[in-house]
Amino acid sequence: MELEWAGVPSVAIVHEEMRGSAKAIARVSGCADYEFLTVDYPWVPIAIWSKEECLELAEIMAPKVMAALTGRS
Amino acid sequence: MTAAAQHAYDTYEALVEDYFEKGWTDGLPIMPPTPEKVAAFLEGAGLSGDEVLGTVPTREVTCTAEQAAVNAVMAGCLPEYFPVVVAAVRAHLHPKGNCHSTTGTLSGAAQAVIINGPVRNELGVASGAGCFGPGFRANATIGRALRLVIRNVCRGIPGFLDRASYSTPARYSFCFGEKEEASDWEPLHVQRGLAPDQSAATVHSLMKMVEATDFTSRNAEGVCDTLVSNIRANGIAGDSWLGEDGNVVIVVGHEHHRFFIDEGWSKADIQQHLWPRLNAPATSATDRMARIGKPEGILIVAAGGAGMGASWLLLPHLALAITEPIS
Repeated sequence: MELEWAGVPSVAIVHEEMRGSAKAIARVSGCADYEFLTVDYPWVPIAIWSKEECLELAEIMAPKVMAALTGRS
Repeated sequence: MTAAAQHAYDTYEALVEDYFEKGWTDGLPIMPPTPEKVAAFLEGAGLSGDEVLGTVPTREVTCTAEQAAVNAVMAGCLPEYFPVVVAAVRAHLHPKGNCHSTTGTLSGAAQAVIINGPVRNELGVASGAGCFGPGFRANATIGRALRLVIRNVCRGIPGFLDRASYSTPARYSFCFGEKEEASDWEPLHVQRGLAPDQSAATVHSLMKMVEATDFTSRNAEGVCDTLVSNIRANGIAGDSWLGEDGNVVIVVGHEHHRFFIDEGWSKADIQQHLWPRLNAPATSATDRMARIGKPEGILIVAAGGAGMGASWLLLPHLALAITEPIS
C-alpha cells in the first residue's frame, strides 16, 4: 500500500491465512477496499521452499499480478 | 476451604484482597465463591457437595465436589463448565495421574486438560487457532479451576508442597479441545474406549512442551521423522511404577495434519509408524530411546490453527494420561 501511495503501481500478495489481518491493516490505513491477491495451500505461509516450488508458484501468480496491475483479466 | 458463607466482605475488592492475603489464589483475582454460586454448580452437575472426586493419600487430602465447585467458581467458570472440571479433577486424582509427584516436582510439571466430544462446541472450547493461549473463557477457566484445586485442596503451594525450581506459565491454566471436525481421525476419547457422542476430559501431566517445527517436509513420513527426532532429543521420563502404559501427547498442527490426511494416514497408522522408531536403541546423547510401552500410548491429538509448520510435543512427567467421561 505504501508503494501505491508513493505512486508505484503495486499489488500485494498475502497468504489466505493472513487475509484477515491484511484486510484489517488496510481498513485502519483508510483503504478498506484495497484488493489483495491470495496464496493458499499447498503453499504454507511459513516454509522453506525449493527453487522448483518457487518457480511453480511464480508461474501461477504472475498472470494474476499482471491482471491486477493492468485491470485486464 | 468451603463456600464463602462464613465470610462477609463489604466490597468485592475487600474479598479479593483478603483471598490474596490468605494465599487462596494463583496470584490473579478470583470470582467470589458465594454459597449460591457453589450450590448452582453442584446442582447443575447433579452432585452432592460431599461426593468424593479423588484423594492424594501422601498428603492426606480428600477432594470433594464442593471443594472443586468453590475453586471452579473462583476460577471464573460458568456453571455449565463444572462437569468438565469434575472430570478433570477425577482424572488428575486418579492414582496413576500421580498428583503428589506431578505437582510437587522440582521440574514444575504442568497439567494439560484435553477436551473431546460434543461439550467442546457446546461450551466454546477452543481447538483451533490460538487454542493454547489466552482469549477463550472455557479454556482459561477450566484449566485454571484444576490448578486452583491443586493449590487450594491438594496443597500444591509454591514453597510448601510445590517445590518447582522455576514452575511454568502453563500452570496458570492449560486446557484445549481436539479439533475433531478437521478430519475423520478417531478422536482421542474414542481411541481410549469411549463413544463418539460421549464428552470426555483427558489430563496429561507434562514435564515440558516442545514445538516440533518442520517447514521443509512435504509428506507424512518426513513429519514423523521430525516428531521422532524431537522426542528422542528431549527424552521421556520413565518409572517402573507406570508399567508399560506410558504416554506422550503429540498435538498435530494443521499444516502437518494436512500431509497425514492427504496420504490417508489414520492415528493408528501414525502410532504404528512412530512406536518402533521411538523405542529404537540410543545412538548418541541427543538421540535416546524414548520408551513408550505400546503404540497406543502415543496419544495423537489434532489441534491448532493453520499457518505454522509445527506440532507440539507434550512430554510426560511421571504419570499416565487419564481420560474421564464428562457426565
